[in-house]
Amino acid sequence: MESEEDMHDANDWESVGEDLYSDYGEEGSEVYVEEGDDFFCNSNFDDSKDVMVVREKPFTVLSEDDIRQRQEEDISKTVAILSISKAEAFILLRHFKWDENRVNDEWFANEVAVRRAIGLLENRVEIPKLMELSIDHLTCGICFETYPPNMMSAAACGHRFCGACWQGYIGTSISNGPGCLTLRCPDPSCSAAILQDMINFLATDEDKEKYARFYFRSYVEDGRKIKWCPAPGCDFAVEYYKGSANYDVSCSCSFSFCWNCTEEAHRPVDCSTVAKWILKNSAESENMNWILANSKPCPKCKRPIEKNQGCMHMTCTPPCKFEFCWLCLGVWSEHGERTGGFYACNRYESAKKEGVYDEAERRREMAKNCLERYTHYYERWASNQTSRQKAFADLQSMRNEKIAKLREIIKEEESQLSFVIDAWSQIVECRRVLKWTYAYGYYLPDHELARKHFFEYLQGEAESGLERLHQCAEKELQVFFDALPDSPPTKEFCAFKTKLAGLTAVTRTYFENLVQALENGLEDVSSASQVAGSSTSKSQSTKGKAGKNKAAKLAVPQISPDDYWACDRCTFNNHPSAKRCEMCSHHQ
Amino acid sequence: MQASRARLFKEYKEVQREKSADPDIQLICDDSNIFKWTALIKGPSETPYEGGVFQLAFAIPEQYPLLPPQVRFLTKIFHPNVHFKTGEICLDILKNAWSPAWTLQSVCRAIIALMAHPEADSPLNCDSGNLLRSGDIRGYRSMARMYTRLAAMPKKG
Ligand SMILES: [Zn+2]
Ligand SMILES: [Zn+2]
Ligand SMILES: [Zn+2]
Ligand SMILES: [Zn+2]
Ligand SMILES: [Zn+2]
Ligand SMILES: [Zn+2]
Ligand SMILES: [Zn+2]
Repeated sequence: MESEEDMHDANDWESVGEDLYSDYGEEGSEVYVEEGDDFFCNSNFDDSKDVMVVREKPFTVLSEDDIRQRQEEDISKTVAILSISKAEAFILLRHFKWDENRVNDEWFANEVAVRRAIGLLENRVEIPKLMELSIDHLTCGICFETYPPNMMSAAACGHRFCGACWQGYIGTSISNGPGCLTLRCPDPSCSAAILQDMINFLATDEDKEKYARFYFRSYVEDGRKIKWCPAPGCDFAVEYYKGSANYDVSCSCSFSFCWNCTEEAHRPVDCSTVAKWILKNSAESENMNWILANSKPCPKCKRPIEKNQGCMHMTCTPPCKFEFCWLCLGVWSEHGERTGGFYACNRYESAKKEGVYDEAERRREMAKNCLERYTHYYERWASNQTSRQKAFADLQSMRNEKIAKLREIIKEEESQLSFVIDAWSQIVECRRVLKWTYAYGYYLPDHELARKHFFEYLQGEAESGLERLHQCAEKELQVFFDALPDSPPTKEFCAFKTKLAGLTAVTRTYFENLVQALENGLEDVSSASQVAGSSTSKSQSTKGKAGKNKAAKLAVPQISPDDYWACDRCTFNNHPSAKRCEMCSHHQ
Repeated sequence: MQASRARLFKEYKEVQREKSADPDIQLICDDSNIFKWTALIKGPSETPYEGGVFQLAFAIPEQYPLLPPQVRFLTKIFHPNVHFKTGEICLDILKNAWSPAWTLQSVCRAIIALMAHPEADSPLNCDSGNLLRSGDIRGYRSMARMYTRLAAMPKKG
């Protein structure tokens, strides 16, 4: 049943100039396929140019070999330009954070000062000269033992110490971390740098290796352009080109992170908000333990229910089979569009006012208002986090095994099934965005009512849209896995494909616009909320310096349904600007 | 362990041989443990510590001299870089600026220099540091003097 209802939703978008996701239509689901042309009518395609154009990535993922090669190149260049040794060039480049231009500028401006700062002596104090003085024994300045001069070593400064003391001195420094890269002569009055050739001559094999590792890592860690991917066990690094609009990068290991703060990608929230939020979560985490419990009592029969699927629509185990919302424990049917409201689970304020469900009462007893407010946002943030992880796992299993199974059942080419992967990738991304909108909401000032309301409206739309996509990709797809292999449900699958691909495209656009609107701080809230609130107004308010109202674009379709073209081969409805089919690459 | 023992033994012999080399410093090795030393240092002249004798305790790590000794004042002292309760000393050469070429003797010399030239910007004793930073030199000197009298000078009968 619920899938039929969803089809309404998907189908009725033409009627919702003011409201992308809500559904007031009455048509039966059968018309759905015929009306496929209307499918994309209100997915806001005025922005889709950006989506179509392959964007120049503002970053490059580098392997260890790539990094090593670049480091070698930089060192060789400096060796050639300044006529110094490789080990000296390393010390020099590291000191100036691997900025070649700065190295050259500083060096040619005042070579003496640069040499002094990093401990590079111009002339080596030649040991043979001391030999001529026919000294046959010298005292090591560390162990105070005497040795013949040939058993002792010195850096360029000529301060000699015995081999054992050097080995201990270097080893102690290396065990203290990358500070060994700026090691100086042990003589307290001397600042001569200890270079890598010296390390390789005197240190143990193990220490040489460790030193080489620090030497290599310095290129990333001391430089300004490259950062390690923060995913555990990942050895890639990402080079970022300054001047791009946002810091989101994605590593070859598939982890997306913010290059600026190296936290997980967090658009539309900025880095400082993320830092505040993470700190807050760690400070409050002890209070949060009871919330994090992964099970909740069924609101009807009180048996504990564990959340096992990614979407928020829960069904209690038989015989109860009560359907409810994981977030508010409310009856699921009241969440639907039939009641006239949108998906209401982001509505903390109204939930608080109603105060009807057990958990809210318990919570009220347990916590003061501020914690309660935080709890609301945190719990939804965490829920989306969990859903995202689940969706990611589902995406992986879809890629790795389920698609093959589906091919057997549906008898389709693998390329024809890529829309399923697209849908799941989109769900993972949307869960990420949605998660961060809760941190965004937490920090929205309470007194800015218009902004807050508009935010909750947009978030609610996003939530219900994503919920619909998630449900379609999860539960409606499952039907086909359960089908008998000898009677492939081709026709149904075709309809399902159009629906899921459509939901994916619409949701993608909506979320991209949502991110932009939130990043712009929901400017022009009043005009935007006017547009959003009135079904008659389809004109776009063009206030503000950008000359465009991003928030309004979220709700108002810009391209008429007639502009779309249906693919001859696969019947997919393509955006007017697409020359080839977005599904099967067939020419228009 | 062996290297540090050998090195400390050399320092010990040097101390015995040059007993009068530095009249302001007297280093004493524990009878039973070469890794435990104490020192008596004289408060530098023209400072509030003048006339006082201050006792230092050395705990020497097994990796000495690659790692610095841990030193603290046993005698109470009012000084911005010495913790008033524990006697802990904030001195760069006892931390990251340590060099294995330093000796216990040179550490004592560095501490005497620190007594004469307090670093008000990295205080372990906030009261003392605040007095100095606010420019109340007289306040700092009289407090330091008082504690020198109380703790570091022989009681007169
Ligand atoms: Zn030696
Ligand atoms: Zn030297
Ligand atoms: Zn990675
Ligand atoms: Zn960030
Ligand atoms: Zn139940
Ligand atoms: Zn709910
Ligand atoms: Zn096609």
